[in-house]
Amino acid sequence: MREMVCICLVILAMNALAGEDLFGHLKLAEPLPQGAWEVYQVATQRRDKGTGQYTAINTISEFEYGTTDRLTLSFGLAGQGIETSGLRVDGYLPGDNEYGFKSSGVELNLAYNILAPARDAMGLSYVIRLEKLWLDPHSGFDKDSLSLTTGVNLQKYVFEGQLIWAGNLALEATKATRRELEGLPDDFEWPTFAEVELEFTARTGMSYRFVPKWFLSIEGEFQQEYETEVNLERESIFVGPSVHYGGKNMWFTFSYLGQVSGRGETYDGQPDGYHLIEKTKHELIAKIGINL
Amino acid sequence: MQTAFLLSMSVFTLMATDYLSIESAQRRLFGDKADYIFTKTPADKRLVKAVKKQAGVTLRPDRIRIWQAIEEGRQLGWVYEDQVIGKHEFITYAVGVDMNGRVVDVVILSYRETHGGEIMRPTWLAQFRGKTAEQPFKMGVDIEAISGATLSVRNVCDGVKKLLILNELALLHE
Repeated sequence: MREMVCICLVILAMNALAGEDLFGHLKLAEPLPQGAWEVYQVATQRRDKGTGQYTAINTISEFEYGTTDRLTLSFGLAGQGIETSGLRVDGYLPGDNEYGFKSSGVELNLAYNILAPARDAMGLSYVIRLEKLWLDPHSGFDKDSLSLTTGVNLQKYVFEGQLIWAGNLALEATKATRRELEGLPDDFEWPTFAEVELEFTARTGMSYRFVPKWFLSIEGEFQQEYETEVNLERESIFVGPSVHYGGKNMWFTFSYLGQVSGRGETYDGQPDGYHLIEKTKHELIAKIGINL
Repeated sequence: MQTAFLLSMSVFTLMATDYLSIESAQRRLFGDKADYIFTKTPADKRLVKAVKKQAGVTLRPDRIRIWQAIEEGRQLGWVYEDQVIGKHEFITYAVGVDMNGRVVDVVILSYRETHGGEIMRPTWLAQFRGKTAEQPFKMGVDIEAISGATLSVRNVCDGVKKLLILNELALLHE
């Protein structure tokens, strides 16, 4: 509860604006109409790596524009804050780190709608995302990365639109280079050469409008990442609910996603059945959007 | 906590306003001189099933109100008021149907969605005039789609078709 209040305060303090998501991570296939603007703010709190203390907040301020009735473009500014102590993992988490908020990257998104969910049997959009980060979202230390994601968003209206099914498939390619760190123990592994990673993501979920403007949703996310040296670096399954309010001029969504299973790289002494090096056990997501 | 959540939900829901009253819609459809006599909406299960089969959408009699439009002792037609699901809220609309089962006109009473305000324009609604239960109502083919409001347009199209079928099965040949 306290964490949720903190996330709300972060959003309000940033005077952020918001685009309409019914879920935490899962995206719909509907485009913005031509000439429409949406501005939105997302804050994600990730916490608990099983050992020590780990809390990170990632924010994204996004500006979305309907270029045509099919093509939506958006630009996002990413930021993050981190507090971690008592956990050191070779090659991933070099040690304690704490800062309030730093700018961490930028992203460009393009979504092209091929099939409209209310007109065709199923909605389908093709999405491309280019993301440049200069901070590592896991350790919080400096790391330059460039990612290109391509994928499809699917959407189906059921019961005249009272129930919505959505699915996403995405493939992300990343080239990342860590910067040198001083003061690390001699035996600590901290490679600074370029790494290439491939991440596959599949998501699905349902959202039900239980009274006008209010939706309850459930979603699941399966993700795998393959990396140059270790092959399968991580695999995780997250599941969780969302509550969404959508009004004429603004919307907000609160989501929780918990890791139910994971595998891949592990650290000594970590709890079994999770991937906790790059992922956490819990994610809380707050989104707020304004339609301009 | 639960009470606060339900209260905030109710406040947000009650903030919506209607654009047109049913009385204004009736006058727009059949004029000032007609009297509008409230008629009970037929709701027997066989009818609901038959409408669903022909229209492809569920008939919810509790959301529908019907009036007979009568001028100088002669019935001009019926006024139907119904609600369909929009992206966030219900869309309330009225349909005038003449004694031949043709749409006189369609009027939107409330539309509170972010995009797609064009749905309330008389020029867009004029596409329904003269339609009968037998004619196709496919969005993008027979009725022009509105970008950003495709679910609203689809559900209004299906709703008008459903009311015409209800009219034909239950009232037209009474």
